[in-house]
Amino acid sequence: MLDMATDDASRRQPETALLTLVETIEALSGARTIDDVAAVVRSSARQISGADGVAFVLRDKGDCWYLDEDAIGPLWKGRRFPLNACISGWAMLNKQTVVIPDIYLDDRIPHDAYRPTFVKSLVITPVRPDDPIAAIGAYWAENHQPAPDVVAKLQVMARATAAALENGRLYASLNDSLERRSFLLRELDHRVKNTLASVQSIASQTLRTAPSPADFAESFEARLMALSRAHEMLTKQAWGRADLHDILATAFEPFGGLEGPRFTVRGPAMDISPETAVALHMTLHELVVNAAKYGALSVPAGHVVVDWAIEDVAPKRELVLRWIERGGPAITRAPEREGFGSRLIKRGLARDLGGSATMAFEPEGLNFTLRAPLSTRVAQA
Amino acid sequence: MNGKRIMIVEDEALVAMMVEDLLGDLGYEVAGSFGAVGDALAWLGGDQDPPDGAVLDVNIGGEMVFPVAEALRARGVPFVFATGYGDLPRRGFEDISVLSKPINIGQLGVAVGRFGHAA
Repeated sequence: MLDMATDDASRRQPETALLTLVETIEALSGARTIDDVAAVVRSSARQISGADGVAFVLRDKGDCWYLDEDAIGPLWKGRRFPLNACISGWAMLNKQTVVIPDIYLDDRIPHDAYRPTFVKSLVITPVRPDDPIAAIGAYWAENHQPAPDVVAKLQVMARATAAALENGRLYASLNDSLERRSFLLRELDHRVKNTLASVQSIASQTLRTAPSPADFAESFEARLMALSRAHEMLTKQAWGRADLHDILATAFEPFGGLEGPRFTVRGPAMDISPETAVALHMTLHELVVNAAKYGALSVPAGHVVVDWAIEDVAPKRELVLRWIERGGPAITRAPEREGFGSRLIKRGLARDLGGSATMAFEPEGLNFTLRAPLSTRVAQA
Repeated sequence: MNGKRIMIVEDEALVAMMVEDLLGDLGYEVAGSFGAVGDALAWLGGDQDPPDGAVLDVNIGGEMVFPVAEALRARGVPFVFATGYGDLPRRGFEDISVLSKPINIGQLGVAVGRFGHAA
């Protein structure tokens, strides 16, 4: 009777182990996170291998991280060892399964780490052998040579685990993309509405001061193009922060650009928020159009200098930006009517940034000075 | 002019300038126009008379305008929001009207016209 029972058990066991292996592969294919994968490995690896303990080890930069375990006695759950100081590290670094019938006869084993445990023999198999990202360890409480089919089953399990970890990575990246997509759509909606509000504002204010429909059409179109160039510049850097130098280059592009002889710009690198970059660009557009119509850029010898610096004005630090026109026709007095341009120049940015702006019509040309305290909108790069 | 003074908090100069114009067209005076939450709060904390109402953009250069809304509420000053965000969470301010951007002068007129009538 006793013999028969043993016989039955030994005949039934391989089938049970095979069924468990199939179920494990199914469970792994449904895993979505590393923790899911670890839970499946933890709950089935012992049944599949018949081992006294199993551990699921992740490769985390230069370490082996014992993420989870199921064993008759404690192993190393939650601990980390350098890859070159543990046998699962050896298996991952050497990209091969290691089988050790007596751990105390093998120099690759850090014996001190094993002495508190029950382990006498083991099999470690790397997950994703060509570039291991994890390892599965099976441990026994007696010295023995693990059977080839046990090693083979652990290797099959490791392959399914590799696929599951890759699935999890793809699943997480897909989820991130979907979240990012809906975030971007909301942001796009917001930006489009704000841009339409800007266009609405430009249209209504241009209309208020335009002497004729032809003047309206000309000014409105020029402002629309300036807004469009500002957007194009920001889109090139994914609506991230802009450098002052790039904003100047974009604003002066229709007037020969920064490389041309008409402009001198100098100042430290500045880091400007996208919304402020649009307002600054529109302000520079108004200044440069004004200079081309009436100021320094209306004559061949005229020149515009833009320089800026950070000044300490206790208790804060300020950006001081100066627009200086030279070589243009003598300006006798400020324009009488305040249009959209001069209103934007004098109050727009200063209001946005909690700073101040002054426009001085000097005999040598227009001087414009903007002072703005440094903030998240205007920062030193 | 009807003599009512309206405060504006809006981080985009172009939009703020238009709101100033529209309020002027509707017969209101601009009590103060601010591009930052801190500037608006500092002004409210000053010793001038509080405004008769306010038009508040919601996202002010990455900062939420709600501290300004709370300060206005504490002073009994009525206000409306104006925002490009379709469905902005505004816990505690669900009863405040929201104007969408671009701003329609008719809707702005109706919203601001209610100031002083509703409690």
